[in-house]
Amino acid sequence: MKILIVEDEKPLSDSMVEYLAEEGHLCEAVYNYLDATEKINMYQYDCVVVDINLPDGNGLDLIRLIKKQSITLGIIIISALNSLENRIEGLEIGADHYLTKPFHLAELNAHLKSVNRRISYGGSNQIIFNEIRLIPDEHKAFVHDAEIILTKKEYELLLFFISNKNKVITKAGLAEYLWGDYMDLADSYDFIYTHIKNLRQKMLKKGCEDYIKTIYGLGYKFGLN
Amino acid sequence: MRLLNKITLNLFAISLFIFMIGMVVFYYVLRQQVDSNINLELKKREISLNKEFDAAHSSINQTVNLNDTIIITPISQPKAAETFSDTLLFNPETSKYALFRQLGFVKTIHNQDYYIQIFKPLEETDRLIIRIIIMMNILIVIIILTLIIANRHSSRQDWKVFYDTIAKVNNYDVNSHEEFMLQHSDIREFEDLNRVLSTMTERIKNDYLNLKEYIENASHEIQTPLAIINSKMELLLQSGDMKEKQYKTVADAYEASNRLSRLNKTLILLAKIENRQFPESKPVNPAIMINHQLESLEDLIYAKKIKVVKQVEEQVTVLMNPYLAEILLVNLIKNALRHNIPGGDLKIELTGNSLVIANSGPALTLDPDMLFKRFHTSSSSPESLGLGLSIVQKICTMYGFKVSYSYQNNMHVMLVVFNKG
Repeated sequence: MKILIVEDEKPLSDSMVEYLAEEGHLCEAVYNYLDATEKINMYQYDCVVVDINLPDGNGLDLIRLIKKQSITLGIIIISALNSLENRIEGLEIGADHYLTKPFHLAELNAHLKSVNRRISYGGSNQIIFNEIRLIPDEHKAFVHDAEIILTKKEYELLLFFISNKNKVITKAGLAEYLWGDYMDLADSYDFIYTHIKNLRQKMLKKGCEDYIKTIYGLGYKFGLN
Repeated sequence: MRLLNKITLNLFAISLFIFMIGMVVFYYVLRQQVDSNINLELKKREISLNKEFDAAHSSINQTVNLNDTIIITPISQPKAAETFSDTLLFNPETSKYALFRQLGFVKTIHNQDYYIQIFKPLEETDRLIIRIIIMMNILIVIIILTLIIANRHSSRQDWKVFYDTIAKVNNYDVNSHEEFMLQHSDIREFEDLNRVLSTMTERIKNDYLNLKEYIENASHEIQTPLAIINSKMELLLQSGDMKEKQYKTVADAYEASNRLSRLNKTLILLAKIENRQFPESKPVNPAIMINHQLESLEDLIYAKKIKVVKQVEEQVTVLMNPYLAEILLVNLIKNALRHNIPGGDLKIELTGNSLVIANSGPALTLDPDMLFKRFHTSSSSPESLGLGLSIVQKICTMYGFKVSYSYQNNMHVMLVVFNKG
């Protein structure tokens, strides 16, 4: 997927480029509004990651400009301003997701994957990882073509794992992805432990390989060794 | 006008008015008393005249009218001139002695000196004097009472501004969004006081707002560096060529910076609620939100074997910001789950004017008042930020809801009473 990252903080932008490049995306970074408009006019992107506060302009205006050129293009807003109006306005003018700084790269990646699914297959595709098959539209999961009944959170968890396969996923990143901001997340780690335990059991029962590795004190890793 | 002048002038005006009225009343009362006295005397004259007429036509001895009595005594020695004195005379009609005023003087008739005494009864005038004194006392008491009442009333008008100011200062809340407006007064001292207080509160408010703005800006500015730190550490964790010990170090640092991010986000939220940056309210249905939350927490409820007892009126709506309503409910429900015991109860009751969320658990060892304080956490969950209930309280305060905690039947009960005004 070809991604344009519009973020004026270069170190943050670099992090995103590095993480997403490892995932096989083609990333370009610009650091201001003017360069961003130039790039958008010259090249074709699949998705744009926009910061709302740019030194020479407003990210929301940029989104309006982008949407005028291509309706299907995916947009993810990242902003330090977590005001509800901004969030609502951003989503109203066509952004797919809104992330508040500081966010987790894994979270950004998971959202990019869902954008990718939307623009490439109209969201109707399947996600396949070895013997696991997910149907995002119906929130259904299959192992060896046999359906496993997952709760909503377990399904989201599995989707998040597969989106960030072979990456170290921190408990904090998981918690925020599953529960959102503003919750007192202290006990969410226990919650996550419960969810993962249940998910692992259900999958193992269907003869699925144990992909979830616990990294002590840090989080989890999903994938083959 | 100065307060002292104002009071003096008021008192003067009131006294003048009341004394004028008092004088008129006094005149008529006195008039009436004197008239009745004169009437009495005329009546007496009538009686004595009648008696005289009767005596003239009969052989009955003429009765003595002491009023008309004149005693003439011839004297040889020249006496002092006119003398006034009191004397007692016997009244044969009533067979009593009565007090008379007498005047004695000397008259020379045909070279013979005579001492002449004439009398006037004092009884009637005494009575009149006593009556007048009583009347006067009553009137004076009435005048003084009216004066006091009128003065109090007019003073109260003057002091009203002062008391209003005191009440407003007493209720002054630097966080409130209402204008600090004091009443105008025509008394210079009060006007001065109000002016000083107004400038003072304005200065305090400005300082406070500046400080708040500074903190908010700082919080916002912290977000970006935090985002950089977090993203760099996340990358570091993915690099995979670290030793276990290094992993642990990075993991701890990452954990700490995450905690800081969450803390910062929550503080920004609290500041926003305080600043009323969630203005739009609409009717929200808590029942739907509760169901939604319970659904998303079902795994945990199941894992802790918690029994959910729900008595929810489905049709209830509350006018508030939907986003804040959700934050309120999530924090209360998650709180009730966190402090629940395995196999305990989670009770949710929703009626038109209150919401109760209760959970089983051992009694608190800490002061319940501390529950809603920021950064107050129980030692059992050191990772908790201690801001959940603080958020709950802030949201409730904003909408005029009342939130309270109690411990009943081995259950921690959180009660939110909606404002139906």
